[in-house]
Amino acid sequence: MSDMQEIILDSTNKMFKSLCTKELIDRSEEGIFAEELWSVLVESGVTSVGVPESLGGTGGDYNDALHILQLAGKFSVPLPLAETLMVQWLLADHGISPSSEILTLSVNPKNKIELEETPKGYSVQGKAVNVPWARHAKRIVVIANVEGKSKLALLPLDKANIEFNSNLAGEPSDTIHFQSVDVADIFLEEVDVEQFRMKVTNLGGLIKIVMMSGAMEALLELSVLFSKEREQFGRPLHRLQAIQQHIAVLSGETVASVTIANKAILAFGKGVDDHEIAAAKLKVNEAAGKVTEIAHQLHGAIGVTHEHRLNQVTRRLWAWRDEFGNENYWADQLADKVMNSNTESLWEMITDHPVIAKVQLGEGIK
Amino acid sequence: MNKLKVPIMGFTEEQETFRNEVRQFIKSEKDTFESQVDSWLSGYSPAFSQKLGEKGWIGMTWPKKYGGKERSSLERYIVIEELLAAGAPIAAHWFADRQTGPLFLKFGTDEQKEFFLPKIAKGRCFFSIGLSEPNAGSDLAAISTRAERTENGWVLNGMKIWTSGAHLSDYMIVLCRTSPKNPDRKHEGLSQLVVDLSSPGVTIRPIKYLTGEEHFNEVFFENVIIPEENIVGQEGNGWRQSMAELAYERSGPERILSTFPLLEELIGTLRENKDFQGMKEAMKLLSQLYSLRHMSIGIAQLLEEGADVNTTAALVKDMGTKFEKNVAEVARLIIASSPSMTSEVRFEKLLAQSILHGPGFTLRGGTTEILRGIVTKGVIAE
Repeated sequence: MSDMQEIILDSTNKMFKSLCTKELIDRSEEGIFAEELWSVLVESGVTSVGVPESLGGTGGDYNDALHILQLAGKFSVPLPLAETLMVQWLLADHGISPSSEILTLSVNPKNKIELEETPKGYSVQGKAVNVPWARHAKRIVVIANVEGKSKLALLPLDKANIEFNSNLAGEPSDTIHFQSVDVADIFLEEVDVEQFRMKVTNLGGLIKIVMMSGAMEALLELSVLFSKEREQFGRPLHRLQAIQQHIAVLSGETVASVTIANKAILAFGKGVDDHEIAAAKLKVNEAAGKVTEIAHQLHGAIGVTHEHRLNQVTRRLWAWRDEFGNENYWADQLADKVMNSNTESLWEMITDHPVIAKVQLGEGIK
Repeated sequence: MNKLKVPIMGFTEEQETFRNEVRQFIKSEKDTFESQVDSWLSGYSPAFSQKLGEKGWIGMTWPKKYGGKERSSLERYIVIEELLAAGAPIAAHWFADRQTGPLFLKFGTDEQKEFFLPKIAKGRCFFSIGLSEPNAGSDLAAISTRAERTENGWVLNGMKIWTSGAHLSDYMIVLCRTSPKNPDRKHEGLSQLVVDLSSPGVTIRPIKYLTGEEHFNEVFFENVIIPEENIVGQEGNGWRQSMAELAYERSGPERILSTFPLLEELIGTLRENKDFQGMKEAMKLLSQLYSLRHMSIGIAQLLEEGADVNTTAALVKDMGTKFEKNVAEVARLIIASSPSMTSEVRFEKLLAQSILHGPGFTLRGGTTEILRGIVTKGVIAE
């Protein structure tokens, strides 16, 4: 890690620690947007890290941005930071400058969005489902059908009808209805739908991996703290052998997840993430099931109450493991890669060392 | 969490070239050995060890003046990984390379280093480790083998058990009491002695393992005379020295890759059969292996930097050995077969070896339960 990155992460850590309280997360779940924290993120440039300065972004690379998202996962930051960053990066690939607005995206195959040309621009018809943070977002990236052609579209949301829904963690996951919404002057670009979905799924998967690994760190810290403070049978919980077994497994799964997430970050930044994201999401998803079970068992009854911070973390882990591909999806992807690998043996594949070309900013997501 | 952070290491082009060199050598030797599971315990071949010695791949991190090559521990890591992945027979020199050599380097006298290290590095001098006793397994401080100082040297009496390869080794490092047991300070008064296994009074009785093979032994010492200068390090410092050795052996590739030959065979078979469904099942193993391998490599780097890896090494041993066992459990469900040590079908033979060697993985070098205690203490103390 570079010194610069350490400074950025250190200050982000401090910012989240002081501003992202349990109460703030509770309020967000009740529907109150964390305006103040969002403004701080925008002002400090966090919402456009990874977008080159030449385009008007904050600069830095994906490595920086993904480690910031790891912290966001650790502190359960109740904001569409991941979604906004993803959209900024996807658009930057098309030379579009970052926005200070809240942005979101959805490439769900269930979406159906039609654009029809009108004298003033386009008329939008259709819907998009399970859209993260749609109710607060200003614009959305989707794949739209424009006279028989699939196009990447950036659509405004001010005239759309939004049906509220939320994921297990109480994060907005809304349905958007466009009912003959007139838009003028929008960004459209022809894309290969399959490729674009794959690109977004890989990037989204990676983001969930790092956020989940951060959440697991928080889970471990909470569990260690609880087992030190709570006494049963006349001594702190951690002195009981049965509890020690739990803490050790919890630590192991957490370290394994953080390690494989960090490896995936590095591989992605270098453009050699062929197996890494698939393997990491598979591992981290699997670990999420184990660590949440252990943490709740350790905390006993207090952990299942709304009052305790634990559930803010465990509900996120349960929600995120199903976002951008569950274990089944990623096992499928990885199996496909192994089945069709050019290497002679599994061992050669595992130790394969692709020549790492220097990757320019913006070229990572391809 | 800071104590648990593991750096992510990538290998350099130079190291990758070296990996290729090792791989080519192993390929050229393929006809001389049969790939097997757990080859660092059961693959005994002095001839193969000598060849590795000639290549400079035993004791390769040691100083040149003692027959080493002064290479980095990551390069050593590469050699070990390649050998284990191929199931090569490396048990003969294994303990001398991994433990005894570093022990001498850290605590030994100049004479000991000059006498033993070059021979070990050549693959011509093999050691066993004498720690466990019938009444002292996980509770190692309970050992009662003792040595008394006399005019003729140390007189050793007692018994060791589960000593891998003692019937084939030249020497054993014996942890024994050199002063009477003090119930309040039972870790004190222990010392390490180098015992020539051909000395009068040494009786070695192999123990048949689950597989029917003989790797372990009971070793009896009856008034064995050991030269005064064969003590390693300080008298009474044996416990600390042994524990330092254990930390080094917990996070290596041998705690992850013992059953890799079976995993390789499984994936190869699935590829051949174009069994996509089976392949999908096997991918869970692969994702675990990825994370464990990066943890283990990161710890190897930390060791090189001299960092304290006690907690993370225990973690890797706990998870790695469970993984090694799990390979067999997953493999047998994906491909229905009749595992047998004598089967002519490679998959069935490797599966049998994996199942029958399995119980040992989570016992040797610290049981799962003891390791988890170490992990929790480390995490709680932070």
